[in-house]
Amino acid sequence: MGLNYYQIKKNVLKARKLVIRATNNAGSGHPGGSFSMAEILGCLFYKYLKYDPKNPTWEDRDRLVLSKGHAAPGLFSNMAVAGYFPKSELDTLRKFGSKLQGHPDLKCPGVEFCGGSLGTGLSYSVGIALAGKIDGKNYHVYTIMGDGESDEGQVWEAAMTAAKYKVDNLTAFLDRNFIQQDSYTEKIMPLDERLDGDDLSEMWKDASRWKTGDKWRSFGWNVIEIDGHRIEQIDAAIAKANATKGIPTIIISRTIKGKAVEHMEDNPQWHGKAPDSDVVPIIYDELDSQFMIAPSIIAGDMTNLENEVKRCVAGRADYIHLDVMDGQFVPNKTFDHTKIKELRPLTVIPFDSHLMINEPVKHVRDYVDAGSDMITVHAEVCDESSFGEIHDFLKQNQVGVGLAINPSTDLPAWSYKFIPTLDQLIVMSVVPGQSGQKYIEATHEKMRSLKSVLNDNKFSGYIEADGGVTLDNIGSIFADGARAFVGGSAIIGQQDVRGTIREFRNQVMKTRRKLLLDKANELGGTELVKKWIGLHIVGEKKDQIKKIAQEAGYL
Amino acid sequence: MTDMRTEYSKTLIEIGRENPNVVVLGADTTDSLKTSGFGKEFPDRFFNVGIAEGNLVSLSAGLAASGKTSFASTYAIFLPGRAVDQIRNGIAYPSPPGKKGLNVKLVVSHGGLSVGPDGGSHQQIEDIAIMRAIPNFRVFIPADTFAVSKLTRLMSKEYGPFYMRMARSQTPVVHSPSQEFQIGKGITIRDGNDCTIAACGITVRMALEAADSLQQEGISCRVLDMFSVKPIDAELLEKASRETGCIVTCEEHNILGGMGSAVAEAVSERYPVPIRRIGAQDMFGESARDDEIPLLLEKHGITSFNIAKQVKELRSKKL
Repeated sequence: MGLNYYQIKKNVLKARKLVIRATNNAGSGHPGGSFSMAEILGCLFYKYLKYDPKNPTWEDRDRLVLSKGHAAPGLFSNMAVAGYFPKSELDTLRKFGSKLQGHPDLKCPGVEFCGGSLGTGLSYSVGIALAGKIDGKNYHVYTIMGDGESDEGQVWEAAMTAAKYKVDNLTAFLDRNFIQQDSYTEKIMPLDERLDGDDLSEMWKDASRWKTGDKWRSFGWNVIEIDGHRIEQIDAAIAKANATKGIPTIIISRTIKGKAVEHMEDNPQWHGKAPDSDVVPIIYDELDSQFMIAPSIIAGDMTNLENEVKRCVAGRADYIHLDVMDGQFVPNKTFDHTKIKELRPLTVIPFDSHLMINEPVKHVRDYVDAGSDMITVHAEVCDESSFGEIHDFLKQNQVGVGLAINPSTDLPAWSYKFIPTLDQLIVMSVVPGQSGQKYIEATHEKMRSLKSVLNDNKFSGYIEADGGVTLDNIGSIFADGARAFVGGSAIIGQQDVRGTIREFRNQVMKTRRKLLLDKANELGGTELVKKWIGLHIVGEKKDQIKKIAQEAGYL
Repeated sequence: MTDMRTEYSKTLIEIGRENPNVVVLGADTTDSLKTSGFGKEFPDRFFNVGIAEGNLVSLSAGLAASGKTSFASTYAIFLPGRAVDQIRNGIAYPSPPGKKGLNVKLVVSHGGLSVGPDGGSHQQIEDIAIMRAIPNFRVFIPADTFAVSKLTRLMSKEYGPFYMRMARSQTPVVHSPSQEFQIGKGITIRDGNDCTIAACGITVRMALEAADSLQQEGISCRVLDMFSVKPIDAELLEKASRETGCIVTCEEHNILGGMGSAVAEAVSERYPVPIRRIGAQDMFGESARDDEIPLLLEKHGITSFNIAKQVKELRSKKL
């Protein structure tokens, strides 16, 4: 089975939008903690949890206990996306007569735990896990706790109890976002180390200061520490936890409160506050503007691809783009699935296999078996029937479905029926087959018009720009509509991959901020522009955005 | 004299044999509560969570949410007195569709002043008030071991949260083995027309003794065992008000919020008559050796003598 990467990402996006809609509608609620655990819930709901929305009390279902109950909007949004109730029901959140209470409640079928009074969910989960053991059931209990919540002594009572009774059918997540209601956790009650200044990144940079894992280890738990926004890391951690017998597992997930909305990120103010209505459309746009950067390793040292993979991982790439060329569809030859299979054990980072080969329908199974998480085939060598076969096969295997078109190819008529479920569309901006080419300028216009065609056809995937992407043009390609960027020599050809990827990100962010300022100006003129800028109180964001606004003439 | 904890333990084991869904939890007081006997027979259904009462309550709730009937036990002072949030938000509040609360039975010993030597810090005189105020909870104070046994069985069959408070010391038998116990039904142990004495737990015996001595003075007292403090038997109380004209209550609990308050609330709404409440007069207890416990109780007026005295005074105030 693949990672189900794109499906999870798409659903996480839907859920985040619903959190904004629901809390805005309610006029209160907790978006910050809902967003920090968004990817964790995404992996659980759309990959691991066994449940039946039509039969919420199904005896063998897995149990999801949201101990940090104030993040209820995050839970409810995913329940809506998963089909427990219509999305429109989120408009009743926190209102009189609603089953969607301010905190999760058994009133809402499918909710397992009345959370909100912090520190009690883990004990409760141990109870559920023990009941499962008594009854010989195979269900698993997943419990999500907050780091502020860890101030509660009962968390540690439960930790000891879980170890004593060896509840290996329980996996806890610590949503380690470093923020609690009053301020940063390390100021209020340090879990790692006391933080004296206001720079939270201090805690992130210096792993020697992280003590939380040691605490749990000393309580007899299997501890896995991950980046809680990286789907592949969450996925691998859950798989490892489920395979660990005899002791409970905690997945300490370093997260960002308010993740995915810049002004909410790492900002304690957004622990429990709803966004204003005038800002909501800007937030929606921002959520739609999440992007990814993927180095293409064939532009590196072909004799040592293992090392190139490692450089991508260390460089914090979002995923790795693997260009497979067969010497027939394109003149060059690179590698095939056997190489991918060799590289797979090196990392859990998603592999995006771009098959520049003839008759992909005959080979796609090999690439799934090799461990691809996304597979893209070329429209030039598919038709409705063969692509349909590929599409269904990949979906069944939870592998992302991509379609690529060459610079001279238009989106074929047969492909339209697949657009709503397509995960990725690669718009080639160079002639495939060789690296080092320049971005074909006509691609800008092509992508913009494709973007509107895709929108009209309910596309919910990512447009991937592949070929000639550089620091100079990435901003404008983002503006055209691309949300995933393959970088060849411009990234992997550089000495400092991590620094280069950071520069690429900064460049996209600059454009993104400008586009969001455009939106603010369009909706509410200078006043809304000022208001939106004013929300960015953490770090240097405000000054940076102000500068962009001045350059654009909005201030 | 018989021991409530021994009876509780014996009954739990019987229930455990009949019902595989019954689980028992303790917090390092399982020898004292004698629930360890259940653990010996059913080690897989017995959990000692250590000195961690919040954990005890939440764990019981998790088991109950997964189909178990949880009995969680420790001393009174450490359950309502310590873990009220876990009790309220973890047991009483969570209500699966069509149900009220989770299926957890909190059974405590060492209720009230008669705890004795451990002192005022360990004498729980607020638990009835606390537990009565929490929606979905039902509250029992058994007077003897027959009551303990029957109420334990009753709770195991009846879905929902219950609180049952036992005494630490051995207790005299006041009921017959055939006595039936129903939720929300008080028991008229003795009939009479001049005054009603409402009691619960160890004060039922005192009430009977007071009634005996008053009988010799020609005063006929009705004695009610109000073991079901919540729901309270308002009907029985209304009848007693109409027929006897005044009510004295006696309990080893603060007079604020306890059984006496529950009686007064019901009577004042249905058929107001003069009421006098005996119990701790909003003050704490203190240490007393086992043989001094009667002195401690006497200090708070919890004696048959004081009950009789109050009955005599109150009769003159009848409307």
